[in-house]
Amino acid sequence: MTGPRPEPAWDVVVIGAGHNALVTAAYVAKTGLRTLVLERRERLGGAADTTQLAKGIRVPTLAHTVGRLRPSVQKDLELSRHGLSLLAPDVRVFAPATDGTAITLYGEAEKTAVGFRINGTLRARDAEAYPAFDKRVRKLGRFLDTIGRSTPPDIDSPGLADAMNALRLGSSFKGLGRDGSRTILRVLPMAVADLVAESFESDALRAALAWRGVRFGAVGPWSAGTAAMLLLDVAGNDGGAAGETVFAKGGPGRLATALTTAAQAYGAELRTGAEVVRITSRDGVATGVVLANGEEITARAVVSGADPKRTLVDLVDPVALGPSLGWRAGNIRTPGVVAKVNLALRRLPTFPAAAGDEAALRGRIVVAPSIDAMERAFDATKYGRWSEQPILEATIPSLADPSLVEGAKPETHVMSVIAQYAPYALRDGDWSTNAEGFGDAVVGVLETVAPGIRKLISHRQVLTPADLERDYGLTGGHPFHAEAGLDQFFLWRPMLGHARYRIALERLYLCGSGAHPGGGITGGPGQNAAREILADLRRR
Amino acid sequence: MPQRYDAIVIGGGHNGLVSAAYLARAGLKTVVLERRHVLGGAAVTEEVFPGFRFSVFSYVVSLLRPEIIRELDLPRHGLDILPLDGTFTPVYEGTGRTPPKDGNGNAIGTGDYLWRVNDHGRTVRELRRWSKLDVEAYEEYGPLMVDMARFIKPILAIVPPDPASIDPRPLLPLGGLLRSFQKLTERQQAVFVQLMTMSAYDFLNQWFETDPLKATMAASGIIGTFQGIRSPGTAYVLLHHYMGEIDGAFRAWGIPKGGTGGISNAIASAARANGAEIRTEAPVARIQVGGGRASGVALASGEELEATSIVSSVDVRRTFIDLVEPGSIDPEFESEVRRFKFRGSSGKVNMALDALPNFTALPGVGEHLRGAISISPAVDDMERAYDDAKYGRFSARPYIDIVIPTLVDPSMAPPGKHVMSCFVQYAPYQLDESLGGPAGWDLQREAFGDAVVNRIAEFAPDLPSKILHRQVMTPLDIERTTGLTEGNIFQGELSLEQLFFSRPVPGWARFRTPIKDLWLCGSSTHPGGGIMGANGRIAALELLRSKGKRP
Repeated sequence: MTGPRPEPAWDVVVIGAGHNALVTAAYVAKTGLRTLVLERRERLGGAADTTQLAKGIRVPTLAHTVGRLRPSVQKDLELSRHGLSLLAPDVRVFAPATDGTAITLYGEAEKTAVGFRINGTLRARDAEAYPAFDKRVRKLGRFLDTIGRSTPPDIDSPGLADAMNALRLGSSFKGLGRDGSRTILRVLPMAVADLVAESFESDALRAALAWRGVRFGAVGPWSAGTAAMLLLDVAGNDGGAAGETVFAKGGPGRLATALTTAAQAYGAELRTGAEVVRITSRDGVATGVVLANGEEITARAVVSGADPKRTLVDLVDPVALGPSLGWRAGNIRTPGVVAKVNLALRRLPTFPAAAGDEAALRGRIVVAPSIDAMERAFDATKYGRWSEQPILEATIPSLADPSLVEGAKPETHVMSVIAQYAPYALRDGDWSTNAEGFGDAVVGVLETVAPGIRKLISHRQVLTPADLERDYGLTGGHPFHAEAGLDQFFLWRPMLGHARYRIALERLYLCGSGAHPGGGITGGPGQNAAREILADLRRR
Repeated sequence: MPQRYDAIVIGGGHNGLVSAAYLARAGLKTVVLERRHVLGGAAVTEEVFPGFRFSVFSYVVSLLRPEIIRELDLPRHGLDILPLDGTFTPVYEGTGRTPPKDGNGNAIGTGDYLWRVNDHGRTVRELRRWSKLDVEAYEEYGPLMVDMARFIKPILAIVPPDPASIDPRPLLPLGGLLRSFQKLTERQQAVFVQLMTMSAYDFLNQWFETDPLKATMAASGIIGTFQGIRSPGTAYVLLHHYMGEIDGAFRAWGIPKGGTGGISNAIASAARANGAEIRTEAPVARIQVGGGRASGVALASGEELEATSIVSSVDVRRTFIDLVEPGSIDPEFESEVRRFKFRGSSGKVNMALDALPNFTALPGVGEHLRGAISISPAVDDMERAYDDAKYGRFSARPYIDIVIPTLVDPSMAPPGKHVMSCFVQYAPYQLDESLGGPAGWDLQREAFGDAVVNRIAEFAPDLPSKILHRQVMTPLDIERTTGLTEGNIFQGELSLEQLFFSRPVPGWARFRTPIKDLWLCGSSTHPGGGIMGANGRIAALELLRSKGKRP
């Protein structure tokens, strides 16, 4: 095994073309490195996708909003020049109750509070507390954004960069002020139900706000660490307490297209239908990949946009990985609990709580009646059942973006529903026999807030965790690649000692949602990973 | 003229007594004021029924700090801890892989059990009956947890720093901790992080496949908390219980001779020997505060006592909301105190037995009854028990940790009779409106007792016929008798946001309070609850240091 190694064919080969992988590829290609992206599917963009549900009817396949996308990514990669255009409705959240009342959240906290006072569904105390709560989560979110933008430090052998980083984090921690810095340490491990209960009395408002603490996680609002999930959702965007609601015009697939175009414009080469089955390595250094057709591709650096479990357990040679790391990788938690239901509607459904105000329906429609209702919906997953009263986040993107239904019959709308809880592992039967039942449960819940909606449905698509795993390669059907719990956070996302985007082997990198700062359409892990890859390749 | 002391300790629980002993030992004129007629707080022994003596609340010990035993010379003051060997977990019929057999190869009883003892070889043989993979994992798991406990133990003696403070000195002990963290292997580091962040179930699930083994091991992760075994943060409580040691043996549990009151009496005797005065039936009604400092206390009787320092061993809410003059604390601090979560979740049922119960899985009187008997047969059962509590009901089929002290210490009952101590979870302090709401426990007490007896009878059907007397302690009873707010046995939930520098209030984890000369030394402070005594000791040492006194 001696002698000079042949010059690798590529500088960087990227496994998978999810949005983070495309971000990484675009950044590294931009510096002139020879970059190749390999995607198993025929489509690029992973979870940022648009599906044609029927003729002239297009719907966000998985993710439906893109408001967490880092502004620096948009700017650096010139995404608007590459065709990305964003739509931000005034109403961020509309949370209707079955009794005809609703909680409406706007981007501006004061406007939200005024709304609470006018419609009188909330006590004055809650209306008063809201702006302060919004301010507080924004402040804590800003700190988490600083953390999110930095590479987790190397605690075993800290270098100069780590020291600089620590100083920056330290000063941003001090910037929180005495109370803020104490608060963040207290708040991060809290249950989101407790966090919202500290400020608000209304159960409906508590639930509407707590939703983002459990969204995409196998947790209920009473689970510790869900407050951190809420704050992470605030980090790096102007969501605040209401959360972001931003659509990509033409559907989330447009984001994928913009990223693809950008990566290509910078010189990256993209191949679809190219499934990577193995990462090759020599003496603990990644050397390239092998495709399903046997083709071997060598590169100076291998970057995986796949989830960490798939990357390490399925793609890396177990001998190179070693038993200890293999055990740890196998134990990365990926309990998917999210299903997606996409509907084509003959006309706009009537939500009595909206009282005919169509604008109210342009944001995210959150159906989470109470904290207990959310917790009960979560309980089902513990026993391997899907919730019969799932918690929903629905959007009707065609309201703000009629281009989605161009070519369909007039008045047609599409509705995109994120539905929890639908556990990947069912105790009785499998998802092939349960998908439609869950779809019915979702429609049943929609009926409670929009009576008659069932009759308006012309097409329905139910994507279960099993579909997410099979079609998108997400282990356990987890949209975040790995559960976003306290045990898989920052310094230990996905694993302690492997959180600096360099994972398991030398010259092997992780750039997807399984890396810090985690999941969602942010481009964050991809951007951070590119920075580290470039630092390593330049050093050489 | 009011009597004057150097230090007044409010509450004669084990932490209050430990504090008093250390303060008196350093020469401070110290008095302990206890509301009840017995000393010990939740560590008391009482003759509840004639001839039958019970450790009414806390019933086993393992966390008591060895340095306290040594420094206060507790064995000389009568401390005698009898080892409690093993955990016997009866499980449902058909759960096991190979039915248990007697020496002649005949199947024993019906149902099955999982029996872990301190004898490693025997436990491994028992586990092999269930899963060979689990045996392998167990061999690795045990030593790893001991390593973890060794690593974390120094933290029990640290005064937590204030992360927002600019004074770097209190951060120094953390530096030592970071250095010893760096010395761990990467895998040990990773496991440590998991222990601090994961749920007990998720943590154990990485090693084991046998459901009852996971259930019964995870049970120690939820004791005293309002969390389920799948709740993130419970793995830490698992470790908290691993930190116990008796005579240097990790995770060894014991029962004090004469009940847990035996510990309190030994500490009280040590305190007295050092010159402390201890008064019972002396309830404190008010902590007197003037000019931002505490100057003394008023008893319910009207008597007033003055002191240079007041040390409160009662919980943080009782101290600042009930005892301190309203309006004398900073409103911001007050709201933080009110925010501190108690949420009592456990009850206790003490039974006087005519004879020992028979467990169908292993009938007869045997060694299996001499250790802990854990009613935790399945992961789902544990989780369902928690689900009940989440929605304001006591568990219909609760998790129960049973000890029969008379098998180790016959002096607790008349000859031939037995006492049985049942620690029960979950019994939420706040009951749902349908059960009578906040005051509902007075209506539900016996129904709760019945649920406990019925649950045990699933595995030992003859238990009901053996019961002579039964004492049911609901969280409300625990609160009324011991003063523990909401009946929380740890003086505040051991959840991640209420540990270390956030316990009990962020920025006030160093035993001092915003009121000058008023100190806290109970389980509300770092490092939390259990009969550990560390809180009382560190608080006393910190107070002495602030006075420039040598401990």
